[in-house]
Amino acid sequence: MVLLPLDKAFIEPFSGMRCALIVVKKNKSIVFMANMKSMRQTKPSVGILVNPASGRDLRRLVAKASVFQNTEKCNMVYRLLGALGVMGVGEVFMMPDVAGVACHIRHSLQHGRHGNPDLMPAVHFLEMPIEDSPVDTLRAIELMVSRGVSVIVVMGGDGTHRLVAKKSGAVPLVTLSTGTNNAFPEIREATVAGLAAGLVAMEKVALSDVCLRNKILHLDKNGVIKDVALVDICLTSVCWVGTKAIWQVECLKELFVTFAESDAVGLSSIAGLVRPVSRCSPYGLRLKLVPPGEGMMTVTAPIAPGLMAPVGIASMKEIRRMEVQTIESTSGTIALDGEREIEFGENDRLKVWLETNGPVIVNISKALDQAVKNRVFVEFQMQEHCFDLGNGKESAHSIDGGRSN
Amino acid sequence: MSRKISYKDAINEALSQEMERDKSVIVMGLDNAGGRGTEGEKDAWGGVLGVTKGLYGKYGDRVMDTPISEAAYIGSAVGAAACGMRPVVEMMFVDFLGVCFDQMMNQAAKFRYMFGGKSVTPVVMRTMYGGGFRAAAQHSQVLYSILAHIPGLKVVVPSTPYDAKGLLIECIRDNDPVIFLEHKALYGMKGEVPEESYTIPFGQANIVREGKDLTIVALGRMVHMASQAAASLAKTGVEVEVIDPRTISPIDWATILKSVEKTGKLVVVDEANPRCSMATDISAKVVQEAFKALTAPIKMVTAPHTPPPFSDVLEDLYIPNAAKIEAAVRSIL
Amino acid sequence: MSELKKEDLLKAYRIMKEIREFEERLHVEFATGKIPGFVHLYAGEEAVATGVCMHLTDQDRISSTHRGHGHCIAKGVDIIGMMAEIYGKKTGTCCGKGGSMHIADLEKGMLGANGIVGAGPPLVCGAALASKFKGTDGVGVAFFGDGASNQGTVLESMNLANVWNLPVIFLAENNGYAESTGVKYNVPTPNIADRAAGFGMPGVTVDGNDFFAVYEAAGVAIRRAREGGGPTLLECKTNRFFGHFEGDAMTYKAPGEVKRQREENDCLKIFSAKVISAGLVTAAELEAIDKEVAALINEAVAKAVAAPKPTEADLLTDVYVSY
Repeated sequence: MVLLPLDKAFIEPFSGMRCALIVVKKNKSIVFMANMKSMRQTKPSVGILVNPASGRDLRRLVAKASVFQNTEKCNMVYRLLGALGVMGVGEVFMMPDVAGVACHIRHSLQHGRHGNPDLMPAVHFLEMPIEDSPVDTLRAIELMVSRGVSVIVVMGGDGTHRLVAKKSGAVPLVTLSTGTNNAFPEIREATVAGLAAGLVAMEKVALSDVCLRNKILHLDKNGVIKDVALVDICLTSVCWVGTKAIWQVECLKELFVTFAESDAVGLSSIAGLVRPVSRCSPYGLRLKLVPPGEGMMTVTAPIAPGLMAPVGIASMKEIRRMEVQTIESTSGTIALDGEREIEFGENDRLKVWLETNGPVIVNISKALDQAVKNRVFVEFQMQEHCFDLGNGKESAHSIDGGRSN
Repeated sequence: MSRKISYKDAINEALSQEMERDKSVIVMGLDNAGGRGTEGEKDAWGGVLGVTKGLYGKYGDRVMDTPISEAAYIGSAVGAAACGMRPVVEMMFVDFLGVCFDQMMNQAAKFRYMFGGKSVTPVVMRTMYGGGFRAAAQHSQVLYSILAHIPGLKVVVPSTPYDAKGLLIECIRDNDPVIFLEHKALYGMKGEVPEESYTIPFGQANIVREGKDLTIVALGRMVHMASQAAASLAKTGVEVEVIDPRTISPIDWATILKSVEKTGKLVVVDEANPRCSMATDISAKVVQEAFKALTAPIKMVTAPHTPPPFSDVLEDLYIPNAAKIEAAVRSIL
Repeated sequence: MSELKKEDLLKAYRIMKEIREFEERLHVEFATGKIPGFVHLYAGEEAVATGVCMHLTDQDRISSTHRGHGHCIAKGVDIIGMMAEIYGKKTGTCCGKGGSMHIADLEKGMLGANGIVGAGPPLVCGAALASKFKGTDGVGVAFFGDGASNQGTVLESMNLANVWNLPVIFLAENNGYAESTGVKYNVPTPNIADRAAGFGMPGVTVDGNDFFAVYEAAGVAIRRAREGGGPTLLECKTNRFFGHFEGDAMTYKAPGEVKRQREENDCLKIFSAKVISAGLVTAAELEAIDKEVAALINEAVAKAVAAPKPTEADLLTDVYVSY
């Protein structure tokens, strides 16, 4: 994977602990944790942002998305906390909310429902007003950044990540899908995501090896309203933001994508199934959409979970960094990352352009691969050369196998 | 009129004939067909004791099995009734009243009054009551007095196959919510029942046996106990009049009062617990309206103020019987 | 999303405004002591009842709650009769025998406000069942609150409706308060929509202060139900401007909470701003509706005050059809 330019702060080489050393001796994680804790010098902090509203929009009705229950989001947080604690992260900052996530977590931690709190990072809920709206996410990320968190774990859909990206700056994000369309965040087991976040926070892997700076689309309405999208911007002819969901393909007029993967779900799949663009290619795409059967081709794409729809494509072109795209359209709404967000009328002037300075994303697989190479997860009771563990790549021998040698 | 069928079959026949006559009649309850969602026989049960057996075969989806959610499905019967259907909903045992009482007491019973007379709720709730099955405290109770207490509900307690059929048809055609109570020990009882459809009006007592010396008012299964006692008493020259009110809301006060005015003595026989019961209600009415005719204190033969026991020895002591009735009669002769 | 024409927008505004004026006026009148009994006001939640009921016809049935005035108005119950009913007058919708908590009009498909929290959903299941048997494409909408979401009847009905695949919409109006108790305390997962998963039906949460969001989501759910697609749990997050009942000092609310809701989250303000800025409706047109609604509510109060009370004879009537 080609790495896009990162801010300098993030290419600082990893301090290097290549022969570190921990093992799950006797298969007891407590031993493992105690060892890890004894290792660390400082206790870096991590932000966890849970969007309590994600995963229950209209696509449960108009498509076949399922409700992402907040209890499951809470469970994911507990799994994250366990992994972060093991990795030696001392503090976690979280967004407060009125939708029960914070309340559930506080309650559970207080009552020790999820094991010994001493083995988990201390969880602090940020002191901030709660408006039960997207503003909360923006505010929380600002506060996390100002607190100096090393990494932020984001749990939400594409929409949540879009909001986070507005404020996360150069702080790397571990993205976890708890939303509907998952073009941007990954569907991942939270434990593993927590390990990756911990590895980054504890500087056990080099950011330059495991991070990617994402592309981003900017939108300008009359020079006043400015917004961004991480995956796609779509013009629709629907008049109202309403429930935000998009499912009627006849309303789609234009589509801009930062990247388009063939295995994506959501609007970017329209491009992804015709002309995939990777997350690191230095360009995006602009597509003019028409009813199926018109234009130069029709593609049947999964525009939402379980919703395959034919979409006509009239034209498609690459858009380069900072190339301003003007839009001519009468009236409708603009969808950012799959959700109608902005209403516009015929007198509004709309511009879209691509930038390459989007959020910094931790590649979870790479982080763990790197950690394996760095021997982060093992401790040797005997001299290392007794074992042939390869180079952290696919190992032909297990540790037990090594012993039997 | 020579055909004899059981109380259970009489109820089944009433349901079947009404479903045939009127498409808005639907039947719902736990296992009313039975076997849904299984690989085995459909219409496997026809209700827990087979009362609705065979209806599913004849009327298909108009016989609805329900989840074990009395509040939801009885409430939905009430709602369907308010919207033009005539549901006959079964609550397996009257003892389960506690989990769904609101839907009858606060919804069905009150709609018409609360809505200023602008609604009809023709729902029938069939339910099983009574002791004798060693079914213990939560499957043996006689709770009809609680229902009769509620304005807006009608309460029907048939004692014979003939009454069961005629009264159930009347219930289904009636435009008010009606509770139809079936004594589980009577299901096997046979009696003469016409094949054709017929109705018995509410509030019309049946004088089961005429007599001049004493009036017994008995309900449900107790009608038979009272008749037994009366037969025994007749052998000693005591002529007891046995009255079966058949419906307790409305109730045929005129027949009861007229009888007491004739005999001057009253024994009320009720399988229910004694406090705030039909027994006390009937006694109170007679005292208020026919005090001057009374020549002896009123006697009540009821279950004691305890829950129904399990052990056969205890349950036999608990349920009123002919001997106790006879003793009560003799005590005021 | 079915396109809202100008006349639809004006109709929606009128209904919301009627509810608002009705409730604001009741708040004032109640304080004068002229209105008997308990009154629970719906102000703040207008977009929910309106956004849903705009999709319904008289053959569709709704059940309502103790906070039922808004549902009644949105379902087309006569406002003059409603006001008289709340005043306990013989000319009331229920002849003065129901009052605020029991206003019903079955011909309009309004199965009644209900004094029992959580009593409506079973009734709506029955209404929907009746539609199925009668072969109409009628649907049932059970309005209930975050408080009622904890009632067995509500959860049992969700199960029943899914078992029987009934055309029912479970419409959770989450105003954050069950009487004085916060939803955070009462509901371990304060998104009521989450509960849909347990019954195998779609659960959707929308901004209940945005008429357009409610209208759109309800439209999809109702169409799906009509077409045999089964029940939906639709949660609308909204605000309650007044107390649980009239006379409730709302000391449990944060200082300034209601003021802020009225300023920033008032569904009527949000609606007006949107339709005017979109150029679909003029401010003057909305003002004209305001005047007509104010006149209607004035008339309703005047008629209610002047109307006769029920007489002794009315006490005993309408318990039964026949007895």
